[in-house]
Amino acid sequence: MTISAIDAAPSDALIQTDHAPAISASNVSKRYGPVSALEGLTLDIHAGEVFGLLGPNGSGKTTFMRLLAGYLLPSAGRLMVAGHDVVGDSLAVRRHIGYVPEAAPLYRQMRVGEFLAFMARLRGVPERNVKGAVERIVDRLALSAVVDKPTRALSRGYRQRTALAQALVHDPDILILDEPTNGLDPRQIIEMRQLIRSLAGRHTVLISSHILSEVEKTCDRVAVLLNGRLLGVRAMADTPDLEAWFLSLT
Amino acid sequence: MRTLRILFAKELNATLTSPIGYTVAAVFLLVLGYTFSLTLFATKVANLQYIFHQMYVLSILLVPVLTMRSFAEERRSETLELLLTAPVQELSIVLAKYAATLTLVLGIFTLSLVYAVILDRYGEPDWGQIHAGYLALALHASLLVAVGLLMSSITENQVVAAALSIGIFLMLWFADSVSYLLSPPFDSLALNLSLIGHFKPMVSGSVFVSDIGYFITASMLALFLTTWRLAQR
Repeated sequence: MTISAIDAAPSDALIQTDHAPAISASNVSKRYGPVSALEGLTLDIHAGEVFGLLGPNGSGKTTFMRLLAGYLLPSAGRLMVAGHDVVGDSLAVRRHIGYVPEAAPLYRQMRVGEFLAFMARLRGVPERNVKGAVERIVDRLALSAVVDKPTRALSRGYRQRTALAQALVHDPDILILDEPTNGLDPRQIIEMRQLIRSLAGRHTVLISSHILSEVEKTCDRVAVLLNGRLLGVRAMADTPDLEAWFLSLT
Repeated sequence: MRTLRILFAKELNATLTSPIGYTVAAVFLLVLGYTFSLTLFATKVANLQYIFHQMYVLSILLVPVLTMRSFAEERRSETLELLLTAPVQELSIVLAKYAATLTLVLGIFTLSLVYAVILDRYGEPDWGQIHAGYLALALHASLLVAVGLLMSSITENQVVAAALSIGIFLMLWFADSVSYLLSPPFDSLALNLSLIGHFKPMVSGSVFVSDIGYFITASMLALFLTTWRLAQR
């Protein structure tokens, strides 16, 4: 079973550097008491690109994503998503994003179709469009075999795909995926990678990973984080040897 | 309003499909039925006051079992992250959980109306007192559910949430006893905080605005604090 590629287009043409960034972080910090999870991060992510956050566990990737998704609030700095401030206009930000947390959480008591309909309604899809939106996303992510199954009975691959479906069901501008290939088998990883690539252009996609090859094969640009600090940003086209660059930074 | 309706439907569905709600209802009605039969045969008086007091105590022990999951489970399973990153106000999440749990508790209370019907069939109960008693129970349930949700919002451990709730309920219950040990103005403060002190008059048929105000204010305060806790990022 394969995931259908949607609106696939050559990625090189999709980095719209002449437009306002989809995501703009200016000197953003996040502290938990005395512990600093993110320190003075400044970064622009362009509309339509697939952007990778690379770094070891605890480097601040998840914290940054949670800040973008509105789950956490920054301790300092300014963070703009789709032209809205995550602090001052959090609800507007959340209308523009789809977010898949690292654990890919699902409501265990719901069936897949029921869960997607619930998330569609919650994310503001008008009632008359909910059924169509769910059918489209089920078809798009090849979930029809499990649509009537309880989410607690899903395999890891289907769990991840259902989590991605809930993030896409309202057709958001920006997609934030925290470790989207975590726990998937090699075939599922390839399918997920193809899917993410197919989203470029129509959606801005931000993914995090600690696997170099994943970022290399999926992203247009990549940022390296370590201990909450941004060490560098590069376009993949300008980085023939990601491993060497990564090692030189860390 | 639409978001609140969607969340309420989800919460009510979760409540009604969970075995916990049915278990609590079964225990509640079993104990009440036993007490009702015993009291009726012993006193031969068409009065539900004893039953209302029994429901007061049972609620204190059983409502925490219903509320402990609310936020603790969402936090543990990380689904809270889905809710809080959707375009939803924290207040809507809190109100939906509050309304769904309160609906279940009031539903269980409603089943106890069968005792009032039995009394009416075989005796002449004071319906004014019965109405006041159910009003007291509804307000009591509102406070317990609101405080239970607050406790559930501060931990991801369900048992801790239930234990904290029961602890607070017992402290509020016995606040009037503590008041005798305190000097002014703390004695009157403790007296006014007493749960039973505001419940008892209503169950006896004396409905005071101050008692109603106590339950409503305490419920609103707990709901406000729960919302504030959720908004802490």
